Amino acid sequence: MIGKRSFLTIPVFLFFSITTKATNSEPPGSLNVPVVYYKLGNGLKVVLSQDKTAPTIALGIYYNIGFRIEPKNRTGFAHLFEHMMFQGSQNLGKMEFVKLIQKNGGVFNGSTRFDFTNYFEIMPAHKLETALWGEADRMKGLSITQENLTNQQGVVKNEVRVNVLNQPYGGFPWLDMPQYANENWYNAHNFYGDLADLDSAKLEDVNSFFKTYYAPNNAVLVLTGDFEEKDARKWIEQYFNAIPSSTLPQKPDISEPRQEKEKKFTKEDKLANKPAIAVAYKMPDKNTPEYFAMGLIDQMLLQGNDSRLYQSLVQEKGFTGNVGGGINYLGDMFDYNGPMVWMANLIYDNKVKPDSIVAEFDKAINFLENNVTQKNVDLAVIKMRSSIYDAIGGNFGIGKLNMLASFALFDDNPSKINDLENEFKKVTPELIRKTISEFLRSGNRTILIIDPKATK
Amino acid sequence: MKNITKYFLAISCILSGSLLFAQKQTPPEGGTPKDFLVPGKKTKALTNGLKTATVQYGDIPKVNISLIIKTGNVHEGPNETWLADLTGEMIKQGTKKDNFQALAQKVAAMGGDINVNVGPDQVVVSGAVLSEFAPDFIKVIADVIINPAFPANELQRLKDDLKRQLTYQKSVPQTQAQEKFAQAIYKGHPYGTLFPTEQMIDGYTLPMVKGFYDKNFGAKRSVIYVVGKFDEAAVNASIEKAFSKWKSGPDVFYPPVNPVTKLDTIIVDRKKAPQTTIILGLPSVVPQSKDYVPYLITNSVLGGSFGSRITSNIRENKGYTYSPRSVIQNRHNTSVWYEQADVTSDNTIAALHEIEKEINRLQHEAPSKEELQGFQNYEAGVFVLRNSSPAGIIGQLNFLDQNNLPDSYLADLVKNMHSVTPEQVSDIARKYLQYDKMTVVLVGDKESIGKQVTTKKGF
Repeated sequence: MIGKRSFLTIPVFLFFSITTKATNSEPPGSLNVPVVYYKLGNGLKVVLSQDKTAPTIALGIYYNIGFRIEPKNRTGFAHLFEHMMFQGSQNLGKMEFVKLIQKNGGVFNGSTRFDFTNYFEIMPAHKLETALWGEADRMKGLSITQENLTNQQGVVKNEVRVNVLNQPYGGFPWLDMPQYANENWYNAHNFYGDLADLDSAKLEDVNSFFKTYYAPNNAVLVLTGDFEEKDARKWIEQYFNAIPSSTLPQKPDISEPRQEKEKKFTKEDKLANKPAIAVAYKMPDKNTPEYFAMGLIDQMLLQGNDSRLYQSLVQEKGFTGNVGGGINYLGDMFDYNGPMVWMANLIYDNKVKPDSIVAEFDKAINFLENNVTQKNVDLAVIKMRSSIYDAIGGNFGIGKLNMLASFALFDDNPSKINDLENEFKKVTPELIRKTISEFLRSGNRTILIIDPKATK
Repeated sequence: MKNITKYFLAISCILSGSLLFAQKQTPPEGGTPKDFLVPGKKTKALTNGLKTATVQYGDIPKVNISLIIKTGNVHEGPNETWLADLTGEMIKQGTKKDNFQALAQKVAAMGGDINVNVGPDQVVVSGAVLSEFAPDFIKVIADVIINPAFPANELQRLKDDLKRQLTYQKSVPQTQAQEKFAQAIYKGHPYGTLFPTEQMIDGYTLPMVKGFYDKNFGAKRSVIYVVGKFDEAAVNASIEKAFSKWKSGPDVFYPPVNPVTKLDTIIVDRKKAPQTTIILGLPSVVPQSKDYVPYLITNSVLGGSFGSRITSNIRENKGYTYSPRSVIQNRHNTSVWYEQADVTSDNTIAALHEIEKEINRLQHEAPSKEELQGFQNYEAGVFVLRNSSPAGIIGQLNFLDQNNLPDSYLADLVKNMHSVTPEQVSDIARKYLQYDKMTVVLVGDKESIGKQVTTKKGF
């Protein structure tokens, strides 16, 4: 949709919105996501997107607090805190939230990412009010005991062990690379947390973190699925409107300096038998023309069996059976809001020299820079459109919800979901070349190699 | 609904000095359930035996297409482990008409990729493309499966890839545990051998790959599923045209299987490991059994959901582990139940005791009606979700087909889940989930585990 945005600044207690709906003039095969957007008097952003495909609803609350800006002496705290949100609130004791969702036929989860922490439920459609009540209850306040905190410190430490410490290539490269590539502590610390930092978390930390960041004016509520707008608005107002807003702290400076020189690191892995490599380039700032160009460059170089790096690293050279990668390993190119890398990683055999792998990156990038055509761009746009549809249609409404939440939180404009394809269509071969020359420079890259040290 | 209203005492001591009673709120019940019907399918059969099932679903302009062939690792000989995988990789390399690169570009222009996945019982050739390309993508799938080029020059590279993958998988503690567990349960059967040796892979030749393909692939063993938004007539015409020339091939055949029920403890030493990977379980109820639906519910109560007894205990109460879960793993004509958890090394034996305790408790004491109802509602909700995406719908239809179950299985499942009684759950636990018949696999620091055994009784 061009020129039709459903964002309005609104006076307190009056809710306006424009609903965008698919019209008959849309070309066949296109998709238009309905978006209703408004804010409650306390600042809570609300996005409603009806979809009656299945008799279910997906409800998500996204708080504008990610692990990037967690307290400096408390690495891993944003994520530990996410666990605390399931440990008891004013009206629900431990495990009662979990049971409330499950016994009403729903599933739930939460996750901590670079720039937000989210909580979501997928419920049978007629349990919408129950889900709204549950989320509002824990937005009002928590009731955490030392026993519950200690329990979850144990759980989270076991999460780190199973995903990182007791795993070959554990943390590679998703947890490692930001620590090597970035300079600013906010982007470069251990997001999962040092075990000692996790252990030192106190109840007062939990309380102050909640007070600081878990306020309605620092959150968005997104509802997708089979509901009636009138009911949804009524219950959202009933359960959320009275929750007081808070004064939010100023966001720290999370910017990264321009990288001038290639960085190269080796990390020993006592559980791995084969070397692995990750190659990362700092991304253009979000929402710039170059950012959208990088989305298409990713499609050309890395996504799918037709991509240049798959063709060269897997099919031609046989260095590896699979090359993974993309923009934002903990989500996608839309659901973050700060410095990021575009990255690829692969496991290879001891006999292969890592330099010969990096040379294939250079070759593929140079080829694209010198030969990119409009036809290449068109193909990348088709692949991008298809992957956006997958994201929108994925996870029973949560995929769409995740996009709407990100665009509401970061851009104050959830209707952007319907503009994405156009943004990518604006990319020209010239812009691709320009983006490559600035962002896929060797000086803008960080290379991390896993040195395998397993004894057998 | 459980009345969770509780009272707590709040003392306002500064201003009024009086006692205030704050009443906890009860969550709203919600409205009345909407009807859910399993999305309708249209089925057909070609004269060569290929079956088709199509379902129009959703608003996203994409379509999921899967050709599922009833062969896989189950048809490998004793020294042919992963020959099926190698065959799948070779099929992916292109057709007599289009090599890998040409195929990849063709399918990318449709907004998709073509995947060939080899599993124990099935080989799946699949992809999701933009709706308008459904008929063209069907042609590609047909060409890939009917006319594979089997290029000799790709064989060594693909064998090297499999060896690299083998090395990686064998270094992962969870797959180490899975390997030992499968060996114990399915001794002497292809299901019992998850990994080849490097020497085995080295020995595979192009004639072996072609032989596996000729012997096991064909229309009679296959079903094509098309789910999403698509032009029905064009899709049907494309299937007819593209697949009618495929050979009928072999009949569906799965070798008989006799899973082993045996009390045993197998330890894989992983020195200084911070966690022990636990798998414990036994052969259990197959989907065709009248006990299967009560067994699904029993699993949900015991370990199959976040709110389950075992997870509540060893995660939310004890903090021993992050992701414990019990799993029903179905293979053709057989099924196992197991609980898997990665627990802090020091808590290995304690975790086993807690798991045993929860199994015994469920056997001796029926859950309350209210607790049971919670899990029945949960499983019914999950069932709706399983039928609410193109890939999920293919999964459900494939489950019916693979297990020879009638359509009424899905249509009646929610009703049948709700009719399970508390006593049935206890009965099922007693009949099928006996702890003293379970095979236990522990992948962890043997010394640490040994110390715990000597200091704690009852193991």
